[in-house]
Amino acid sequence: MAIIPAFTELTRPYWESARAGRLVVQQCRSCGRIWHPPLPACPHCHGTGIGWREVSGGGTVYSYTVVRHATHAALADRVPYVIAIVQLAEGPRIVTGITGCAPSDVRAGMPVRVRFDAVTEEVTLPYFEPAPGD
Amino acid sequence: MIRREVAVAGIGQTEYGKALPGTAWDLAIEAAARALADAGIDPADVDGMCRFAPPFETVSEPMLVRALGIRELTFFAEAPLGGEALGAVIAHGAAAITAGLARVVLVYRAISQSKGGRFGRADRGGPAGLAGAGQAGAAADVVVAEEENRSFAWPYGLMSPGQLFALWARRYASVYGLSDEDLTRALGSIAITQRRYANANPAAMMRDRKLDWETYRNARMISEPLRLFDLCLENDGACALVLTSAAMARTLRDDPVYVLSATQTLSPYREPMGIYTDDLIELFPPAAAERLFDGAGLASGDIDVAEFYDATSFMPLRSLESYGFVPDGQAWRYVADVGTGPDSPLPVNTHGGHLSEAYLHGMNGVLEAVRQLRGTACNQVAGAETALVGAPAGSAVILAR
Repeated sequence: MAIIPAFTELTRPYWESARAGRLVVQQCRSCGRIWHPPLPACPHCHGTGIGWREVSGGGTVYSYTVVRHATHAALADRVPYVIAIVQLAEGPRIVTGITGCAPSDVRAGMPVRVRFDAVTEEVTLPYFEPAPGD
Repeated sequence: MIRREVAVAGIGQTEYGKALPGTAWDLAIEAAARALADAGIDPADVDGMCRFAPPFETVSEPMLVRALGIRELTFFAEAPLGGEALGAVIAHGAAAITAGLARVVLVYRAISQSKGGRFGRADRGGPAGLAGAGQAGAAADVVVAEEENRSFAWPYGLMSPGQLFALWARRYASVYGLSDEDLTRALGSIAITQRRYANANPAAMMRDRKLDWETYRNARMISEPLRLFDLCLENDGACALVLTSAAMARTLRDDPVYVLSATQTLSPYREPMGIYTDDLIELFPPAAAERLFDGAGLASGDIDVAEFYDATSFMPLRSLESYGFVPDGQAWRYVADVGTGPDSPLPVNTHGGHLSEAYLHGMNGVLEAVRQLRGTACNQVAGAETALVGAPAGSAVILAR
């Protein structure tokens, strides 16, 4: 039982990019600034010409928690798992999970890089794992 | 200016419990009737109503108007965003009274987590009362509708307030350099102190349950660094209060409690469940705290007792700093060394709070503040003249004798 996002007009490009193995954030075509999560207009210059920009996939753990108690039946087989807020190298933060290491090895400030986990045929979730060489 | 123009003329509450027999409607009626009786006001004469907006509050204005036999409401308003509504419902009611839109404003919050959604379970109602979310069959995928960026969080298992505040607590620890043990000492100090208050409060759900350090530390980890007793209770119950002009309140009783200020705030991603704030540190924005104290004409040092919103033990910890009672980054030492107990400079959550009295979305904290200022609290702070009731995200109230 996977927990998957419903796609909306606004969020579909994010999830379709993830399925193609690309991590993207919104970018204003007028002022060039980027942000996440998606918005219908640029919060800086109010431009409505919004594109998507691929980011490097590198970042650091801004905060995290190791969840040991399932708050949804769909999580019963997943605990313990790590929820993290990752600060992307380009600036925006995203909510994600950390895999590829023991939950007890996760630290704030730890360098991480994106990995893509297909959870259904249609949905791939960007997760993060310790950056190579760290 | 609200300051001393509006007063709390009456308070009322139901029993608090895991699973009370009545519906939220029953509970709201009971609390409202008690608050009106406490104020000495005929329910028919209520002409204003303020409540937490749906999906949180399920008892509507028409339901209460019918059930209480209210003649006519001339003002009613709803405040959104869960706990953030706490300061707002009082601010809106006070504004209506000072503007002459209503004379008697009933404020209420009724919760039935046994019959409605459990805040700690995303598949049984969920934190925002999302009935139906994730209730698909065992084999089916759970599809998360996009609302307030939830579709970017739930797939990763970030579904409950406890998990979100675990992220806040961890961020606090990394910004101020706390070890796991430092954080445990700080959070445990709050949980244990509040439990002691609850042990002396007959209305508290945890009145008969002692909590010592061994029990606290050995309790299961829910979402690190938060253990079982760092998280609020899930329960049924209702609270209500009656606001009137200060002049009217003085004709009704000898001990009206005055509203000095009440705030509501919203900035980008500063809503209570917002994850993408600039810092994940400013639980209560400094500008809102300044407005709160300026409105009251007081400074933090003038406050005698505080009832801080505590969905988790982290929130009172950081609230001590956010409102300026303790310098930034020092509350973790302060709560362990000085504490927030009966003999401390600032007793906090003297009813036991959401951790140990009951969870009423902050409204039970308002009622406790009123009792403290009337001099009728179970854990009475001697001579208390001013009280601050804090809610998340820039919503708060200062009350005074």
